[in-house]
Amino acid sequence: MKPILEVKGLKKDLGTFALKDISFSLLEGCITGFIGVNGAGKTTTIKSILGLILKDAGEIAFYGKDIQLIEREFKNRIGIVLDDGYFYEDLTLLEMKNIIAPAYSNWDEAVFKKHMEHFGLPFNQQISTLSKGMRMKYAIALAISHHPDLLIMDEPTSGLDPQVRMELMDILLNFIKQDGKSVFFSSHITSDLDKVADMLILIDKGGIILSEEKDILLDRHGLVKGDTKEINEHTRGLFLSLHETEYGFSGLTDNKTVVRQQMGNVLIERPTIEDVMLSYIRR
Amino acid sequence: MYHLVKKDFLLAKKYWFIMLIAAFVLPIFINIKVDFMPRGFLAFFLSTLFIQYLLFNSVSMIEYKYKGHALLCATPYTRRAMVRAKYLFILAIFVGCYISYCLLAIFIPTKIEMLSLSDVGVSILIVAVIFGIIIPVQYRFGYEKSKYIFMFIIFLFPFVFPMMIESMQAHQIGLQDLLPFSQIVQDFFLGILALLISWMSMGLSTRIYSKQNL
Repeated sequence: MKPILEVKGLKKDLGTFALKDISFSLLEGCITGFIGVNGAGKTTTIKSILGLILKDAGEIAFYGKDIQLIEREFKNRIGIVLDDGYFYEDLTLLEMKNIIAPAYSNWDEAVFKKHMEHFGLPFNQQISTLSKGMRMKYAIALAISHHPDLLIMDEPTSGLDPQVRMELMDILLNFIKQDGKSVFFSSHITSDLDKVADMLILIDKGGIILSEEKDILLDRHGLVKGDTKEINEHTRGLFLSLHETEYGFSGLTDNKTVVRQQMGNVLIERPTIEDVMLSYIRR
Repeated sequence: MYHLVKKDFLLAKKYWFIMLIAAFVLPIFINIKVDFMPRGFLAFFLSTLFIQYLLFNSVSMIEYKYKGHALLCATPYTRRAMVRAKYLFILAIFVGCYISYCLLAIFIPTKIEMLSLSDVGVSILIVAVIFGIIIPVQYRFGYEKSKYIFMFIIFLFPFVFPMMIESMQAHQIGLQDLLPFSQIVQDFFLGILALLISWMSMGLSTRIYSKQNL
């Protein structure tokens, strides 16, 4: 799989917060989850990629070409869903579409109408009257009707009920089925990514903590549970995070083999993405 | 670019009807009330400026409220195109006001006098200067801060403007004294000057906007 988007040494100082030397790659044909707690730097990174925030340093390349040199081509080949929608609420869905659509050289009106029909969105409804779920579906219809290669979504599941979140995951899985399509999806709700993500990038306090294939990452780590008597000065060091109570302990390790060897009477489970994320950011 | 200008008109759709009425009523009202200056010019200029500023301000307020420009900047629309569209929006309102004024002058010539080329030239020049300042200031400081700056300037205007006119009259300063050309060339010059000011202001706004974090 070749890289579709490469970010190298991205820096941005916003005074109270800074992106510190952010580097990662998005691979073609993958759903990449961009995880981190609120305020970790997910939106700032995405806005820097989209050119909404001007970077202080670093390079961003799309299929190997600097996006600053191919700005229009880059933006023609990506679809965007921003966290707050950024729609003009007083307009109808049709009016908003009529503003967005002419920007794209390969806008496909038939595809847009198909999505609107599929999502049950009425053209003449005012945007302000849409529910959060409908708004998200509308944002997706706008974002994928020009056949983008890369769909960039900033917190798309935030505030959505489980039913709509599941529908959104299905939409993403359908999108990624097509050849050469990729999704970059930021979220602090990691359960959604458990189901669909191929790759994971963890950001915290403006820096990338890890960037790895989801299954390898989850296989590499283990959620260890057992009696507190198993914890001593030596075994404590095997854990990335450790939570002890009077009844027992649970902790995340990235060294399952040694834990098995040195802690006989413990249970090792496959962690969730949330377990891994929280363990790394609490270190 | 056309779609971005259309976007501004769409955002101001709530105010179309009121502004349409204003475009027809204001020139008549000013013509009836004013008798100390070239009435045609004053009626046209003041009504146009009023409509332009209200529409411009309404659009800016909606942009500030919903931040739709951030979404547009993430699409293939360039920031330069978005700035240019803002100036074209002002020009389009000017043209609309001119057409409505001409219709009034044709249908009720007893109340409304036809504009001379010079009246149109001076109007477009003053509008170019005013919006040539307002637009970059708003791009630089944002809607909320610039609102206070403009309020302060509007507050000063009634004090400063009569003094300027008085001073120009006292010193007999007029465009005809500054340029040794025929009237038609002078009128043409006003248009060129307005275009030049708008062009420079547009360049400045583009430079400011391209450095803004959205």
